[in-house]
Amino acid sequence: MSSKTQQEPILSVQDLTVSFEGSRGVVRILEGIDFTLYPGEVLALVGETGCGKSVTAKSLLDLIPQLSRQRTGRVSFDGTDLLKLSNRELIRVRGRSIAMIFQNPQSSINPVFTLGEQIFRLIRMYLQDAIDQICKQQNLKQKTAIGLIAKEKLVEVGLTETDRLLKSYAHEVSGGMAQRYKIALALLSSPEILIADEATSALDVTVQAHILKLLKKMSQKTGTAILFITHDLGIAAQICDRVAVMYSGRIVEIGNTMDIFQKPLHPYTRGLLEAVPRLGEKDPLRFISGMIPDLSNPPQGCRFHPRCDHRMAICRTQKPIYKNKNGDHAVACHLYNAKAAG
Amino acid sequence: MQVRTYDFNKLAQEALEDHRKARGYNLRLFLRKKLAVFSTLVLIIIMLSAIFAPWVAPYPEQGKGATNLEERLQPFSGKHFLGTDIYGRDLLSRVIFGARVSVFGGFFIVLMAAVIGVPLGLWAGYREGVSGAIIMRTVELVLSFPTALVAMAVAVVIGAGTVTALIALVIPWWPWYTRLVQGEVLSLKNMLYIEAAQMLGYGRVYILLRHLLPNVLAPVIVMMLLDVGPAIIAIGVLSFLGLGTQPPNADWGLMVWNGAQNLLGEWWIAIVPGFAMFLLVTAFNIFGDSLKEILDPN
Amino acid sequence: MPGALINIENIKTYFPQKKTMTGKVTAWIRAVDGVTLKIFTGECLGLVGESGCGKSTLGRTILKLAPLKSGNIRFNGKEIQHLDDRGFQPFRPKMQMVFQDPRASLNPKMTVLQILSEALAICPEIDKKQYAQRATELMNMVDLRPEHLFRYPHEFSGGQQQRICIARALATQPEFLVFDEATSALDVSVQAQIINLMADLQKRLNLTYLFISHDLSIMEHICQRVAVMYAGRVMEIQDADALFASPRHPYTKALRDAVPIADPTKKDGMAILKGEVPSLLNPPGGCRFHPRCPHATHRCKNEVPEADLVKSGNWVCCHYHKTLWKKGFLENERNK
Repeated sequence: MSSKTQQEPILSVQDLTVSFEGSRGVVRILEGIDFTLYPGEVLALVGETGCGKSVTAKSLLDLIPQLSRQRTGRVSFDGTDLLKLSNRELIRVRGRSIAMIFQNPQSSINPVFTLGEQIFRLIRMYLQDAIDQICKQQNLKQKTAIGLIAKEKLVEVGLTETDRLLKSYAHEVSGGMAQRYKIALALLSSPEILIADEATSALDVTVQAHILKLLKKMSQKTGTAILFITHDLGIAAQICDRVAVMYSGRIVEIGNTMDIFQKPLHPYTRGLLEAVPRLGEKDPLRFISGMIPDLSNPPQGCRFHPRCDHRMAICRTQKPIYKNKNGDHAVACHLYNAKAAG
Repeated sequence: MQVRTYDFNKLAQEALEDHRKARGYNLRLFLRKKLAVFSTLVLIIIMLSAIFAPWVAPYPEQGKGATNLEERLQPFSGKHFLGTDIYGRDLLSRVIFGARVSVFGGFFIVLMAAVIGVPLGLWAGYREGVSGAIIMRTVELVLSFPTALVAMAVAVVIGAGTVTALIALVIPWWPWYTRLVQGEVLSLKNMLYIEAAQMLGYGRVYILLRHLLPNVLAPVIVMMLLDVGPAIIAIGVLSFLGLGTQPPNADWGLMVWNGAQNLLGEWWIAIVPGFAMFLLVTAFNIFGDSLKEILDPN
Repeated sequence: MPGALINIENIKTYFPQKKTMTGKVTAWIRAVDGVTLKIFTGECLGLVGESGCGKSTLGRTILKLAPLKSGNIRFNGKEIQHLDDRGFQPFRPKMQMVFQDPRASLNPKMTVLQILSEALAICPEIDKKQYAQRATELMNMVDLRPEHLFRYPHEFSGGQQQRICIARALATQPEFLVFDEATSALDVSVQAQIINLMADLQKRLNLTYLFISHDLSIMEHICQRVAVMYAGRVMEIQDADALFASPRHPYTKALRDAVPIADPTKKDGMAILKGEVPSLLNPPGGCRFHPRCPHATHRCKNEVPEADLVKSGNWVCCHYHKTLWKKGFLENERNK
């Protein structure tokens, strides 16, 4: 793997803050999210429930319907700030340049149409050139050409019995098949970024293994960058190049997968790694004492300080800022703020 | 294991206070909506007037039906705030007495419909099977006819009159509650806390009453609140058609019918009771909506 | 060697799929199709498998919450499968269950005290006046404060709710507890807390556990033996530390290899198991796993493999497990 930091990032999120009016005051779901995504890489966004990882992804494409929410910051994609785009302009980005797959594949397929109808429509939308080319070369009608392309795409993601599949409805296919189908749809337009939001959490572990391998393979083949949101550190370790750890609306640490797992810096990252049960270990599980903070009334300063073994006086009052340990590995913790040279 | 004695009375007190504070919060939320407060006031005024009609109405005898032919067809005046009708009866008093039928009739219909409909819905949803099927088919049968039509048919059979009209209206009304509750129970039936109670060995009836009913109550109450308005109108319709309250008793629907002939001339005779109905129904709807937002914020 | 607290023989639990007009069933979903095993007093037996393998159904069948089609269930030597509700009631306090979704397991309109009292009420020897006292003790046992007795379930976090469920399960002083995916809905750090609590309680109260989960990684942290289920049957049972280090059934190996390990230095595992989970309406004949097994032969297709004892309490259902073992086909490819 070449050093990715020399390339131009394809997505650059700067100081993204999302808040909304709750019944008890302003709730800041995300605060100062900062990360970059490079072409062709797989970045994991890990964290537990309520840390805001899903919200981050959805905020990029403005998929959160809350009326009273506010977003500030900057999300640079392909030269434009996504936060400043109108809904109409965003529609052209969604699905086309930035695609997304979700946790429950069967429920994100329109149940009223067959799988075939849905993929045909998208092929017509994105691959008109390919259709025309095949029509000319093989002297076929549009409809036949579309069918051929559809089958080819389905086979690419490892699906068999494509004829039967194209005629099925969402509830007739298994989770694994549905997720592969969704991946095929997502990659039709050759997007630059694919966001996978807990895409394998609802699948069996053997099916998950397939899907993860498939995603890695497709990413390498098409050069699509993947933003993989998950709570499973195993997934992050196996297929991701870099990992960002989130806690209570903030990114607390970000770096290469190897660094994060072998030299974790932030106390929360360390605690998380110790709490993960691993095959082959029988020691009692260590866990982090305390509970995830209430977002409408979060702790002052560093949000993790009430649960942190290393807290100092400054942690209670001041929010820690990102400090790059060595270019690739950044952490937001006062333990390192004093030492780091930038 | 350490042995610590806990003062349960003190703990219970603290918990109750927490609970009251939480309820107080809901009350404050309600009070913040000016419209809700206003509509509540209107409702209270109307209901109190209805209860204390003989004392509130300026001309209670006329309210009850006594005629006053010398002062018939008079417009708004100092003596008769809302004018008089074709028999010279003070409209304000008539409206106040008519409120009795409308308000309490509305409550009665909704309450009876729930009392009949909810248990049937619980049974049909939990038990399913043949009895459940019979219940649901009956529900569908009754609901396939318009409410007013069914009520009219029943009223014709059992005879006209205030009480009979109310009974006649309960009949097309209860199936809505059965259907609502059956649907809720069908989805709640699979909840794990039901299975937990089954695991402890509790029987069907206990589970219905202790676990299903309380969780089904919230949407039922909401439906009841929002049904009072339509029920009041339905009573008015039946009376308008002569199947409800019989003259000379006061009833808004009847009053509208009475005044309909004079709509172009002495318009107030029909419009006043009509407006009263509008006011009451709207107030109830706003009240119900605001309450719904608090009870069922989905 | 402690005796078997739970002894099940050839359990079959079928759910009706299609019925004719007269009510005769024409198709069955064979959720559990012939399971025989023993759970020894004081042990924690793990039951692992993917969705649709029947593990949850098996747990429920033992507690008589699922319709048993045939087979025997013995609790402490006494047969219970034929008992009706009244006959089974004395056994209920002794066998309890903790469910998967703590939020859905607690009636939102009941306070914690009411929930616990409901459980205490089925023990005739406990007097009503003692409920509050007992409830407080239970809260202490699961590390919750007694003030919480007067709160409603929605006021607690997922981990706390699960503790309440555990307290409820312990209320009747059971001997046997079934945990049905009890930690699956919880975050990693909360899961760790709950598992430690469970292990602690087991030791203190000398309980017997059946721990059902799809997550292999936690099995070793709490179970002594683990059974692997597939398509309604148990493929193998082994001591927990041996099972994943040295599985004897191809499915167990496939399962273990599919788990993403939280260690980036151990990559390129995740071997792919081809095929799909079989339909329980019409499961494959012979060995259930044969359509997806890389080592399947003609014999596997037609002959159901018998349980082959490897060690006391450990057995495998595979015609060729000895050969596969000897030839090293089941070794961990990642550690090579």
